[in-house]
Amino acid sequence: MIKFQNVSFAYEKGRPVLRDLSFSIARGEAVGLIGANGAGKSTVMKLLLGLLFGEGRILVDGTEVSKANLAVIRRKLGFVLQNSDNQMFMPTVYEDMIFGPLNYGLSREETERRVDAVLARLGLTELKHRYNHKISGGEKRMAAIATVLAMEPEAILMDEPSSALDPCNRRIVINTIRDLTQTKLITSHDLDMILDTCTRVLLLSGGRLVADGPAEEILRDRALLEANRMELPLSLAGRR
Amino acid sequence: MHMADALLSPAVAATMYVASGAVAGVSIHKLKKDDEPRKLPVMAVTAALVFAGQMINYTIPGTGSSGHMCGGMLLSALLGPQAGFLSMIVILAIQCLFFADGGLLALGANVWNMAFYGCFVGYYLIWRPIVKSSLFGEGKPAMRARIALASVLGCIITLQLGAFSVVLETSLSGITELPFGTFVALMQPIHLAIGLVEGLITTAVLLFVYESRPELLMDVEAEADGSKRSLKAVVAVLAVVALLVGGGLSLLASSNPDGLEWALFGNAEEGYAENMGLDEEAYGVESAAADTAEAIQEKTAFLPDYAFADSDSAVGTSVSGIVGSAMVAGVAVLICLAGGFFRKKMTET
Amino acid sequence: MNKMEKALYELSEMDELAARSSPIHRLHPAAKLLSTIAYIVVTVSFDKYDLSGLVPMLLWPVLLFQLSGIPVRTCFYKLRIVLPLVMAVGLFNPLFDRRIVLQLGTLAVSGGVISMLTLMLKGLLCLMASFLLMATTPIDKLCAALRMWHVPKLLVTLLLLTYRYVGVMTGELAVMTEAYHLRAPGQKGIHISAWGSFLGQLLLRSMDRAQELYASMLLRGYHEHFHYAPVRPFALKDALYAALSISAFLLLRYVHVAALLGKVIVR
Repeated sequence: MIKFQNVSFAYEKGRPVLRDLSFSIARGEAVGLIGANGAGKSTVMKLLLGLLFGEGRILVDGTEVSKANLAVIRRKLGFVLQNSDNQMFMPTVYEDMIFGPLNYGLSREETERRVDAVLARLGLTELKHRYNHKISGGEKRMAAIATVLAMEPEAILMDEPSSALDPCNRRIVINTIRDLTQTKLITSHDLDMILDTCTRVLLLSGGRLVADGPAEEILRDRALLEANRMELPLSLAGRR
Repeated sequence: MHMADALLSPAVAATMYVASGAVAGVSIHKLKKDDEPRKLPVMAVTAALVFAGQMINYTIPGTGSSGHMCGGMLLSALLGPQAGFLSMIVILAIQCLFFADGGLLALGANVWNMAFYGCFVGYYLIWRPIVKSSLFGEGKPAMRARIALASVLGCIITLQLGAFSVVLETSLSGITELPFGTFVALMQPIHLAIGLVEGLITTAVLLFVYESRPELLMDVEAEADGSKRSLKAVVAVLAVVALLVGGGLSLLASSNPDGLEWALFGNAEEGYAENMGLDEEAYGVESAAADTAEAIQEKTAFLPDYAFADSDSAVGTSVSGIVGSAMVAGVAVLICLAGGFFRKKMTET
Repeated sequence: MNKMEKALYELSEMDELAARSSPIHRLHPAAKLLSTIAYIVVTVSFDKYDLSGLVPMLLWPVLLFQLSGIPVRTCFYKLRIVLPLVMAVGLFNPLFDRRIVLQLGTLAVSGGVISMLTLMLKGLLCLMASFLLMATTPIDKLCAALRMWHVPKLLVTLLLLTYRYVGVMTGELAVMTEAYHLRAPGQKGIHISAWGSFLGQLLLRSMDRAQELYASMLLRGYHEHFHYAPVRPFALKDALYAALSISAFLLLRYVHVAALLGKVIVR
């Protein structure tokens, strides 16, 4: 579904952010992308979405990410931003949800059907006509996920989906993510969340892929994590 | 400066709607030709920021009162005149719709008074000529000085124009019994003080942006392409502006020549024109009380003479210009003090 | 609450009022906008001494308050700052216009007093009309009406986007102001040393935010076209409402209802 082939990228010459990165993600896989601040996680997301262009090849469902293919690529990918305020730019939740589908030429009826279905599935029906500036942080995050789901993407990318949420809202978001059947690529420092939602983990460090394997395995490897400025997820740390 | 609906007659309001609408139409056309979709989010976020920024209280050193930011100059320096104008329209519309500041019918007039002057006059006649010039020489300090000069001058001039338009529109609407001259004499000095404070705040913000991200400012990076204007050009533009403003106002004033109002009015305007170059000094509030006393004394001493001496003596006019400047400064200080006093009263109760 | 929090509160209060339901709320936004504009135009067109002619215009907002269930108190609370400013302009009239136009027993009323009262009433009426429009019409519906009237797309979209970000930015500045004052007790405003950086910092962050926002629009297929919440088609009842209210205004403008009523009692 997603394939990086020898991808490199630098914002400034001589200071590469990504170095010769290669990996592939199969359809339906749930992958966590972890690494310290500045390891290149966001850049991976931006390259994949065609917001940045670097060297090497990136394929989404067999189509190369290039300026000419942007519409096709973005149609397949849904991106949940870390800051929901930047994602939800219309006055109401409903208007934000219809924004994507209508842009892709869906009819009003079909859009309406999707919006209602997604809201019902996430248990947010009550939020439909609320104002974006008046809902809580937790509601906003869920609504942001809903705006992406309304586009029915084939793969969902999430940037820190559990950040700044209370434990209860964090749990709701985690359960929601777990229930999604699409291909998932999630970046986060919340390793417990990654453990709960992903089956596979990619560990980035200094723009290189230093580990790629089952989540249970990598997230248990205390030495590997600590060498890369992370620590064991609480649930695996065995503390009391 | 927001005008309420009740201050306008339908005819004046409609005229202002047409005028502002035409400028908006031209702006939209221009933006569409450029890269509109990319600019839209920037415009929205900046407009929202300016809206919120208008609520910040800036303490004015030495007075205990506080000032606010206008936004017209700031927006046009950041977004350019067209995008700045449209952003101001939206800000004014939200203020009138949700905060009852201004009015639905008066929106056209408010857009003209605050957005048109602030964005178009402020940008084309003040910001761009000054910032692009070689005034104060080369390098960063010179650019800082140019930004400061353009901001202060821009805010003062555009606010004066705006305040004068408020008077003109209200008078043409036949709303107030206040004689035209008196109204002008009330409005212009108040807005001289307001404009000065706003200019200084705008300067502070723009200088900060210049230090951190100069590429965000309009025309600032254009230095490299050699399209500089000479100092002469700047001076010429400023002179034209001053003449237009001063001359226009005097013409209007002479059509209403009755005694004290006329003198007050004439003085205030000439004082303003002379004052333009040295607002920072005029604003030195440290010795506020002394200045005020002096100004009042001067006023009582000179004004009757001037009113009776009439206008044909060249000496009389220049003397009156000086008196006017002092009065304007005095009134400015008084207003700052009064503003602080009332605000204090209001917060105490 | 600081100023920004108050503004946020007022915004959300308007949103809440507009989200209620009443016969007025259910009218088409274009009909409401049209009749509000007509009302304001007719109101300000009254002669400056025609106080008694203007008084009956009060009936329309009173009626709307009743029909929509919007509390009058909220309206006056909102107008508390603006109203005195409107009034202030009229205050000079009694000084300049001292012609006695009315003799009530021993009380002589000058033209200036009449025109001052007329101006104040006009101000009040116009503000109430605008308030009632916004208290019964959500912003997105109003924008849809503006689009119906061919107000340029760029402007309407900008209005919607800005409205959305007014909430976000005001909220952030409110927090920043609080943070500032927590570390600067006793200061009333922002000290001159922070004039530039206080707003400047947020401005720089906002530019990045605008970029991210644009990215999020692009990622959802944006290409110069915004779709708005659908507004139901303009129906007969909307046309009737607009036509009826506008004819009522014109009637009140040209037929001196107050005088007619007065004649019934006073001969």
